[in-house]
Amino acid sequence: MQSDRLISKILLFADGSEGCISAAKYGVALSIITGAVLKAIYVVNTDLLKQLERARIFVKVEEIDYERDLEEDGHNYLHHITELAEHQGLTIETDLFKGSVHKIALQQIEDWQADLLIMGELEPGSLRQDTFHDENELIFRKARCSVLVVKDTERIDQIFETLNHQSPTTTRSGI
Amino acid sequence: MRLSTLLKREAIVVPLQNFDKSAIIEELLEAVSRTGQIIDREKALQALTERENLGSTGLEKGLAIPHARTNAVDGIAMAVGIAPEGIDFQSADGEPTHLFFLLLASEAVTSNYVQVLALIARLNLQSGFRRKMQEATSVDEVIEIIRQAEE
Repeated sequence: MQSDRLISKILLFADGSEGCISAAKYGVALSIITGAVLKAIYVVNTDLLKQLERARIFVKVEEIDYERDLEEDGHNYLHHITELAEHQGLTIETDLFKGSVHKIALQQIEDWQADLLIMGELEPGSLRQDTFHDENELIFRKARCSVLVVKDTERIDQIFETLNHQSPTTTRSGI
Repeated sequence: MRLSTLLKREAIVVPLQNFDKSAIIEELLEAVSRTGQIIDREKALQALTERENLGSTGLEKGLAIPHARTNAVDGIAMAVGIAPEGIDFQSADGEPTHLFFLLLASEAVTSNYVQVLALIARLNLQSGFRRKMQEATSVDEVIEIIRQAEE
């Protein structure tokens, strides 16, 4: 059952881009301010690896190697985000999945009943042909909850650094 | 991410001067080396050769993507070569290969590397892109075709 609060569950979509770390910082700050629960997810795009293997660009052993490495990357990102949250005294949930990125992210919104999805800005110069662009755009367009795309990463970084130097009251008014 | 941003002028070879598989790979690697992105040329060649030994990177419709992940390169490095006459690159469809994208990436950028491979594959699904690239006769033309395809 969903809460009657405006934001009670924030889902953070971590895609391994630089922007997702700023999105994580924003999510942590927003979670502290609103008291909402924060969960970070990372999806290893095994669908793309399989497509590349089917197109014969990868041989099987590459697909297996890259899946293992991308999974490790994902765990590292989630660990880093957990540390960012803990640095601010916040405990968060994390989950790593494998498969179709947008399908799993959208399913997570449903299953976890998120009422806000936070994601990073697309990296400058990304293309429509770019898989990141496709996946992020599909998530953005098809999400059943509100979506917040974090921009102005420099400002977010500055605010995040000052968060734990302020009392809760000044933090609330400062953001 | 854009191929037109990743690709340096020095790493475009039009036309390729060699006609056999290993020589083509060396010629493209030499082109990448001119960009200054290769830390260890021998190690990079070894990685490309080892990958090729697992199965030819000659695909269908005149395209080949020799590639390897190796810390002999800093980040992602790419070369493009055009062979107007076509070369036997042990392609999947048995047809001559005209268009080569050589890609090297360090282990730290696996995610971007996979994205770039997917991007190359997607661009090459456009028959107009493949045809124009195969008919290109200058470096400027190659740059312009890729830039236009990415618009």
